[in-house]
Amino acid sequence: MIRRVGVVGAGTMGAGIAAHAANAGAEVVLLDVLAGAAARAVEAMAKADPAPLMHRRLAYRIATGDLPRDLAMLAGCDWIVEAIVEKPTAKRELYAAIDSVAKPEAIVSSNTSTIPLAALTEGMNPARAGRFLITHFFNPPRYMRLLEMVAGPGTRPDAVAAVRHFADHAMGKTVVDCRDTPGFIANRIGTLWIASALRHAVEFGLTVEEADAAMGRPLGIPKTGVFGLLDLVGIDLGPHVAASLMATLPIDDFYRAVYRDEPIVTQLIASQRTGRKAGAGFYRRQKGGAREAVDLTTGEYRPRAKSRLESAEARTAGELLAHADRGGRYARAVMLDVLAYAASLVPAIAEGVEDVDAAMRLGYAWRWGPFELADRIGIGTISAMLREAGRHVPPLLARAAEEGGFYRTQGAVRAALVPDGTWRRLVRPEGVLLLDDLKRAAKPLLKNGSAALWDIGDGVACFEIATKMNALDADVMALLGKTIELGTGGGFKALVVYNEGEQFSVGANLGLALFAANIALWDEIEKLIAGGQAAYSALRAAPFPSVGAPAGMALGGGCEILLHCSAIQAHAELYMGLVEVGVGVIPGWGGCAAMLRRWKGAKALPKGPMPAVVKAFEQISTAQVSKSAEEAREKMFLRENDGITMNRDRLLADAKARALAMTEGYQPPELTPLRLPGASGRAALRLAVEAQMHLGRATVHDAVVVSHLAYALTGGERDHTEDIDDAAIHALERRGFMALLREPATLARIEHMLETGRPLRN
Amino acid sequence: MPIYKAPLRDMHFALWEAAGAAALRALPGMEEIGADLATPVLEGAAAFCEEVLVALNRTGDEEGCVLENGAVRTPRGFAEAYRAYREGGWPALACDTAFGGQGLPKIVSVMFEEMICSANLAFGRYPGLTHGVYSALRAHGTGAQKALYLPKLVDGSWAGTMCLTEPHCGTDLGLLRTRAEPARDGSYRITGTKIFISAGEHDLTENIVHLVLARLADAPGGSRGISLFLVPKFIPDAQGNPGARNAVAAGALEHKMGIKASATCVMNFDGATGWLVGAPNKGLAAMFTMMNEARLSVGIQGLGLAEVSYQNAVAYARERLQGRRLGGAAAPDKPADPILAHPDVRRMLLTMRAWIEGSRMLAARTALAIDIAAHDPDPARAQAAGDEGALMTPIVKALFSDMGWEMTALGMQVLGGHGYIREWAMEQFVRDARIAQIYEGTNGVQALDLVGRKMPAHGGRALRRFFHPLSEWTAARAGRPEIAEFVEPLAKAFGRLQGLTAELARRGLADPFEAGAGASEYLRLFGLVALAREWAHAAQIALPRQEEAFYRAKLATARFFFRHILPQHTGLAASIVAGGAELRAFADADF
Repeated sequence: MIRRVGVVGAGTMGAGIAAHAANAGAEVVLLDVLAGAAARAVEAMAKADPAPLMHRRLAYRIATGDLPRDLAMLAGCDWIVEAIVEKPTAKRELYAAIDSVAKPEAIVSSNTSTIPLAALTEGMNPARAGRFLITHFFNPPRYMRLLEMVAGPGTRPDAVAAVRHFADHAMGKTVVDCRDTPGFIANRIGTLWIASALRHAVEFGLTVEEADAAMGRPLGIPKTGVFGLLDLVGIDLGPHVAASLMATLPIDDFYRAVYRDEPIVTQLIASQRTGRKAGAGFYRRQKGGAREAVDLTTGEYRPRAKSRLESAEARTAGELLAHADRGGRYARAVMLDVLAYAASLVPAIAEGVEDVDAAMRLGYAWRWGPFELADRIGIGTISAMLREAGRHVPPLLARAAEEGGFYRTQGAVRAALVPDGTWRRLVRPEGVLLLDDLKRAAKPLLKNGSAALWDIGDGVACFEIATKMNALDADVMALLGKTIELGTGGGFKALVVYNEGEQFSVGANLGLALFAANIALWDEIEKLIAGGQAAYSALRAAPFPSVGAPAGMALGGGCEILLHCSAIQAHAELYMGLVEVGVGVIPGWGGCAAMLRRWKGAKALPKGPMPAVVKAFEQISTAQVSKSAEEAREKMFLRENDGITMNRDRLLADAKARALAMTEGYQPPELTPLRLPGASGRAALRLAVEAQMHLGRATVHDAVVVSHLAYALTGGERDHTEDIDDAAIHALERRGFMALLREPATLARIEHMLETGRPLRN
Repeated sequence: MPIYKAPLRDMHFALWEAAGAAALRALPGMEEIGADLATPVLEGAAAFCEEVLVALNRTGDEEGCVLENGAVRTPRGFAEAYRAYREGGWPALACDTAFGGQGLPKIVSVMFEEMICSANLAFGRYPGLTHGVYSALRAHGTGAQKALYLPKLVDGSWAGTMCLTEPHCGTDLGLLRTRAEPARDGSYRITGTKIFISAGEHDLTENIVHLVLARLADAPGGSRGISLFLVPKFIPDAQGNPGARNAVAAGALEHKMGIKASATCVMNFDGATGWLVGAPNKGLAAMFTMMNEARLSVGIQGLGLAEVSYQNAVAYARERLQGRRLGGAAAPDKPADPILAHPDVRRMLLTMRAWIEGSRMLAARTALAIDIAAHDPDPARAQAAGDEGALMTPIVKALFSDMGWEMTALGMQVLGGHGYIREWAMEQFVRDARIAQIYEGTNGVQALDLVGRKMPAHGGRALRRFFHPLSEWTAARAGRPEIAEFVEPLAKAFGRLQGLTAELARRGLADPFEAGAGASEYLRLFGLVALAREWAHAAQIALPRQEEAFYRAKLATARFFFRHILPQHTGLAASIVAGGAELRAFADADF
């Protein structure tokens, strides 16, 4: 069991790994040779964005020290990660020093991205070498789900298993086993992709905007493309990586043929324009906000111009690669390089194509790995394109062409092509349950255009929202209503509310709401609000337990559905909040009532009707969003008994287990009436808002919006002498929501949010 | 000769009683605007139209234009009429005082436009586009361009044209081929052929200023690569004296169904000297400043022709004696009753009246929005009014021009065989009206503009300017018995429009073909509801004033509209809901 983690080297990666080990629940030691560097790194964590820690207080779990003085701090560690400078001698010296203080059973690993394991273990005593491996994290370690792991021939299986278990369950990583080859998997293919993309952009005369547009959406590559990515990671890193690869790659490696020192890269580095960290790279933003891009031939900046390539509008990768314009020709040249290279590297760098795909998906945020992409385009098409370009078709690709692809699916079983021509059945690890797998073979229990209900086994059903960004609309509410009917009739015994979208739900479909408001469909809108309140209330009152299992954003209505579940099993990366005031309205689907109830139940609050109201008001009026599941707990979105899952792939199984555990003797929560403070409470809240306005923190329309919020949260015309039930609070929510939706300032906020993705401060 | 009296009383009603144009006074520069100022202007305009233009309408139609040696000769009397038009200061009516204009708002000029279109639409085509050129140059031209050209356009000594269409491309301007090559002095050489150019060449002004869409050599393909150029017939010197003849000439006159006295030209640009207006490749946007204005004007053409046809049909129906009224003679002392007594003739005349007066009110309201958008210093209010103008422009263009065609046909029908022969001029109104459904974007294109652009833009923001006030207006009058006969059917039709708008937006997102399939009928239904709003409002104004004949007639026309015309929305709605399935399914080969 790994409980204490040591990290040596407090640079970006070391500090990030230390922080994430703390997130994972370990006690952490962080050391650096530079005096005070480790302590400074932990201090900086509080301010870093994106935050490496899931909660500020986790910093207390990280003890810091200086080397060599504090070497002994590593004595109690179960796992020690080395993340120092990429010099084999320095690393080997460090391992020897570690060996002198570490427990004999402690595992040591290196976060190297370039040095082979064989070089690191040179001269290491065999006992240490048996507990030594490479664990290659991606930046930033909290957020990038890939962990590349390389075990040597002498590495003990129990050491590998221990790190794998901790990385998977506690750190939430997908561990991909790599061979001991230069750059492992992701960077080996990624650097070839970058080299090819750079070279061809120059050769084909594309602008950086055009190259990034062509290299984007149809291929499932993040919209930063290649130049945006280089700006992000630092342009100066490129030549170092290239030099390292050139020193270690096989003599006939294709990378050598593709890579070129591009004059533009040299020029940018020489003039300190190394990317975002320098404030300028391939792109830059002028002080006035003007966005510029570099001319690849002159190195001068010019105003940024949107790509007008027709190819970049292609809907599929195949369409893009077949397109005749220079964007299409560019994407074809680059992706043929990548696909042919990847096909030539299995099994040299990884056991199977699925490992390569996982590494590219999780390490480079590609939507599909190269082999998945090849299947989408069609292996025949790719082979034909290679032949047309006069290029060799790698044997693995030729084999896939015969077999009809790299992957095949029969029923729920998915298999991957093995280089020897056999098929390997892909089995998920124990405790990993994915709706996508299940959906391949199953028919939904219920379904409409916006949501579906799935049988996930053992009498548990899964309610899946399935719209763009999982926005909520009338159809989602209608299907939720039907789901509850089905469960009430005994159709299943427990429900999980879960989906595999990037975001759990961004809340109500604002586009529909705005359009309906613009054409004055007030009755329809009010019906939608009332319908959502009824559906969520019915979910809470249902005779079966429901477990909300969010990952990513759960905003507005997406937050409210979770507040009505019997329990929440959250992914650690949870961005949950009632953000309605940002678009000029108040929570209308029971969010006000639910937060009042949650704060009423908070043990630390003083008694009386006011404290819970103040808390809910603060939270909703400032649209607070948690930046992790830990923070969501502090904000009372999650309750004491709610659980957190670190590994995204384990979320559904955990939620299902939790739901099953609740079925025995399940009783829906009893809702005792509330007492709210009424007009006198509102007066107090108004004073607080006026103070915020004086400080310039609240705008004129903020004051209007939160006055409606205050009205609902304080119980409207009732006061603390009268009971108020949820139905009455819901009526107040509706009243406030509908009144605000008629305000031009609210409509302007919604319009602005839809068009820019940012709130309007009017 | 057909008769025409400008409907000054009804124009007064539309502007000052229905649209509430006095609201303009709150805006800077508009403090003086009111009925007291506008009425004498419109009376003068009426006199000019009735005394000068009406007489030339039929002779112009008979005579047409002649092209000789590259010069166009307009019909007899046109040159004199144009001189009178200039001397009366009419070209300057709605232009900025900074360039010699009179600074009157659109609400006044729109009524003048209607009169010109009633009196002599073909004549109106000559100065008609000058104001559009003025607006485009004022918005997008350089200081020097404005100083040189605007005063001449404003005083009418020069006229303008808009040159968009080419032999192979009309609606789809992305295809256009006319080229512009930069010359050393900063000007451009324009080469290409433009067709259907109204007033492309004529003998009424000393110079003609063409605004031409053309493509620069390095321009991107499609509509993003079009630039706007200014090409004068005679290249002016710095003082504005027309100088050397430019290499632009009329190659032919189009032979057409109506507006025969208007010279519709094929224009050849043969390396003609031109100057860029606005930014390179942004020509379409600049041209749309002019186009939006022109679209509204084309709607007004339908209104003007319907009005003059109505006046002549009524006059004829009073005089013409044929048959006896069903159910008892109306004029027993005469050999037969005037045909005005017959129910079907009354139906036709009331239909015309209801459409015409409703449209006039809608025109006034739309013009007011355009004025507010141009003059309100508050950006939110200006944007709101601009949204309203943008929303209503395709509706006014298509609804009014369809109405012009349908109503002039009814007017002709009232005259029977006499309507069909040329002598009575009723058939000329029909022929002249037909083009309005076609040019400046066919009515099908207007419907797509409404459904594909105006509706979805900014989450339906422009729609708000129609739907919110109407929703509030009906809600405030719900349950008031004295006006229920108008408010209830209006609310019902409005509810249907709301539902169909949501439905069409939903379908359009999923499949644009579906939205396109219902677009024309949707525009008409929207238009009917817009007219119903005007008529309900008019009825409310007229109700307490029924002792006056004007208001009595207004109220009676409102009743006719609500009982006989508004119900058409039911059929339109059914067809919109049916969607595009049948349009899609029919095999191309089976047409």
